[in-house]
Amino acid sequence: MQQQNEPVLNTAAVPSMRRAGKWTALLLTAFFIGLIYLAYRLITQSSFYMAKSGAATYGKVVDRTGDVLFDGTQPLSNYGWGQFADVGNLIGDTSGQMSNTIVAKNIGLLANYSFTYGNNAGTTVLETTLLHSANRAVSNAFGMKNGTAIAYNWKTGEVPVCVSKPCVDIAQGYEGLAAMPEGSLLCKAFYPTVPGSTQKVSTLLAAYESAGVEKINALQYECTGSWTNPNGDDIHCHAEFGHGVQDLAAAFANSCNPYFAQLVQSGNVPLSDIIRTYQHMGYAVNGSEADSFDLNGITIQPGSTTLTNKDEFETEWGALGQGKTLVSPYQLMLFQGAVANGTGSAVKPYLLRSKTAPDGKVSSLASTQYTSQMFSPVAAQAVQDVMTKNAANNYSLVLGGYTCGVKSGTAQIKRTDKSYENSFLVGYCLDESCPVAFCVMIEEREQWDVTAAQIVRVLLDSLNGQIGG
Amino acid sequence: MAKNSTKPLSHPLLLLLILIAHTAMMVLVIFSFGINAEVVKMAVAVLLADVAGSVILQIVQREACTVDTVMLLVIGMSTIYQSCFGGLSFALKHYIFGLAAFLMCQISYAVTRNPYRAERWKPAWYVLFFALVAAILLLTGSRSMWIDLGFITIQPSEFVKPVFVLIAASSIRTQLNKKTFLGIHFVPDNLMLILCTVVIAGLQWWCRDLGSLPTFVAVAGFGFLLRFCYLREKFSVRLIVFLAGCAVVAGVLAWKLAPAYVQERLHSDIWSDMSGTGYQQVKALTAVAEGGWFGKGAGNGTLIRVAASRTDIVFSTICEEWGLFTGMMTVILVLFLPASILTVPPRSYYHSGLAVGVAAVFMVQMTLNIFGSCNVIPFTGVTIPFISQGGSSMLSSGILAGFLKAAQAPVLTDPVLKKKGGA
Amino acid sequence: MDIQEIFRQYPYFREAATAFVVIFVNICALVILIAAGRERRRGDRRWAKESKGYMLVCQGQTYPLSAAEILIGRHPSADICFPETEISRFHALLTFSNGRWQIEDAGAHNGVIVNGRRISGPCTLHRNDAITIGKRRLVVVKGERM
Repeated sequence: MQQQNEPVLNTAAVPSMRRAGKWTALLLTAFFIGLIYLAYRLITQSSFYMAKSGAATYGKVVDRTGDVLFDGTQPLSNYGWGQFADVGNLIGDTSGQMSNTIVAKNIGLLANYSFTYGNNAGTTVLETTLLHSANRAVSNAFGMKNGTAIAYNWKTGEVPVCVSKPCVDIAQGYEGLAAMPEGSLLCKAFYPTVPGSTQKVSTLLAAYESAGVEKINALQYECTGSWTNPNGDDIHCHAEFGHGVQDLAAAFANSCNPYFAQLVQSGNVPLSDIIRTYQHMGYAVNGSEADSFDLNGITIQPGSTTLTNKDEFETEWGALGQGKTLVSPYQLMLFQGAVANGTGSAVKPYLLRSKTAPDGKVSSLASTQYTSQMFSPVAAQAVQDVMTKNAANNYSLVLGGYTCGVKSGTAQIKRTDKSYENSFLVGYCLDESCPVAFCVMIEEREQWDVTAAQIVRVLLDSLNGQIGG
Repeated sequence: MAKNSTKPLSHPLLLLLILIAHTAMMVLVIFSFGINAEVVKMAVAVLLADVAGSVILQIVQREACTVDTVMLLVIGMSTIYQSCFGGLSFALKHYIFGLAAFLMCQISYAVTRNPYRAERWKPAWYVLFFALVAAILLLTGSRSMWIDLGFITIQPSEFVKPVFVLIAASSIRTQLNKKTFLGIHFVPDNLMLILCTVVIAGLQWWCRDLGSLPTFVAVAGFGFLLRFCYLREKFSVRLIVFLAGCAVVAGVLAWKLAPAYVQERLHSDIWSDMSGTGYQQVKALTAVAEGGWFGKGAGNGTLIRVAASRTDIVFSTICEEWGLFTGMMTVILVLFLPASILTVPPRSYYHSGLAVGVAAVFMVQMTLNIFGSCNVIPFTGVTIPFISQGGSSMLSSGILAGFLKAAQAPVLTDPVLKKKGGA
Repeated sequence: MDIQEIFRQYPYFREAATAFVVIFVNICALVILIAAGRERRRGDRRWAKESKGYMLVCQGQTYPLSAAEILIGRHPSADICFPETEISRFHALLTFSNGRWQIEDAGAHNGVIVNGRRISGPCTLHRNDAITIGKRRLVVVKGERM
């Protein structure tokens, strides 16, 4: 061995010992990242925690012009009479009486609490997409009648009008709760009800999608005021002496029950195709699962119907929007949104526009998102044609000046104590100044009462030019 | 610099810093309560422990001061926290157990500082392990983890943790010692680890105390990981996929087969059951939110009225009174214990196994406690080492800290070779 | 008490004091880190002294002996890893105990040769001993501390 200078000692750790350090470092890093996430979560959700445990104070909910719809900072009685009487059951309050409302579902957003400044931070302001003046006008247009009207901008998703009558006045408190009319504490636009002939829009969409536009438009059936199906059950028409032989456009305008019953029964449109389109549109058919809709936390149950055998009365009756068929006005409006834009996929409605935090920081809550494909663009455009013609031919007196498409409906409600009819009008307006899809329902409408079309007119007039962009 | 650092470590400086840190905290306590007998008791106790601990270490042994220093700092801090929760009363029991944990750390250091000896004593660890398991089976009440001695309750499952870490660690020499039975090659040590894991998992299942199951699984998992590192050529993609698949299957099975009360925990939404199963977490989260960055002030918290506020949701209790800053700080300080292994690497396979095992225990416990109480993961009743109240957990954490100390200041004399007198 | 009075008079005094404590504990943590770093250097030094400052040199490259167990072999997880096929995956194990380094066969096919003699049991290593593993010749060298 050759004698040489002593080399420098190598003190580096050997690989196997470094391995222990590596695993420990991995554990530490993972934990540390988790800790940072936790801190972020705790800080950003602190107002939610405080709101949920009832330890926070609450800010304001305002409409798109800044008009107050709910105020947690002072007694609501400080406001003028009737300030909260039109959209009270949509906006809700912090009393806990209503659970499916904007305030109840977004209580964490509304809390004034901030992690840094606590409860003294200032006032949170939630800006909604509603236009208070329009809601008031629509609410007044109902007169003495009850019902609901909901409309949304089918281009952006903003919901400017959502009225449900009767409506609790949250400024008056809940002392007279027992004496309040039924349905005061909920917004009827969100709850499934019998849709009447507005369901024919869904059936027609399914027919177009299944058999093609030309074939369906060419089909002619006869209406003699009543039609007997193969099982021997009668489907009556509201026109006592019938509409005679009609094509689809005429039958749609006449809202002819026998025509649509024969369309379903004839086999020109297989029942399985109707079921499939219904399911894509969000119906729970024959007990199948369907997702509920979410509107800024507000839950809307999906529509449902029973379609088992094309020769049976119940199936034909269901496809006409009577019997066991139930759909919420919200969902009917959504279909109109998808018809109006001609794509078969609607823009999702939303109610909250932005939040102004106590420190003045504004964060946007608005987002334009689309639903899944409910029906084909071809079917959407064909139905749009039919509906627009229907409006032009039959509603020009009331809706003149607006390029609309509409479908009326009458739901026959039979309850143990009484039976009555609810009047519907669903549709859309294509005008640039007022691009809305809507659904109006008047409960227990009698012959000389206000018509749904008149309410739609009020709605369009009060929104025209106000919701562009 | 080089000259400077050959001097014995600056214990006096570290002591001074600890004293100032504890004093500063005590000043905050005085802001809340003024000066009274309890404050004086607490101050004297904590500062005395700091000085005594440092002096004893200075005299007895000067190695691995990181672990001891952090322990002194953390135990003093937690004593102050525990004394102030919801009003001032000196937490004497916590303090005594803290000191006992410090002592246990030194004892376990003495026992495990020689990796060769500690590993040769593995049969003893097995005996101890099964003795503890038997104790849980026989002495605890029906399906619980506690032995009630009347004046004190012991949780033997806490003491299983350090023993399990001793069992999970292994050396390369042990791994090279293969036996053959019926044509199958196997390493007895690994078989024993599998057996012990199955036994402890089964026991936890039977006792319905699944809170500490992740801890044992993590220790066993890292034990096997290190073994794989010794014995496998590489982590091939196929092996990783296989292991990940096994883990997923095991997880899904555990999820599906978990008893009803566990299912309830896994699926419950605390905000829909705020007065029932979600009560503790809702209160804990609200407390953190109320505390803000700097807390409500020592003794001004209200979370103390909630069950387990000193143990399972202690992080929130600290955050409420002292603020999120201090809470995070405390957690990070406890992290320093397992992190010390990064600065001073171990010198033997067995010690590196111990260090990773201890890191796994500490991390998993803290993760389950902190993230569980803050509703990020399902809530289980586990403790934060050295911070939560509870004698058994405190002592077992002390023992685990001793392993870390051993890994940093090992003594390398092989008792068997010594007898033989070498080759 | 007077102190509490101050506390009440200045609303952000407590927050400031808490911040001070947090910052101070942070400083404490930092110093502990520095101390740990120093401990590492001390530990290296102690180890060098205890383990005689030995390291292995092979073809001009030095291999540290900074742990009490060093595995030599073809296995990728070995501490000293050689790729040649005549070297077994687990070839030799160097251990340090009782103040001396020993080498033993860890199941090598071609055996471990120390100073020209094939070993059968643990063999104590001395300065300038030559270990032959396959075609590799490793020399035990005493390194000088910086």
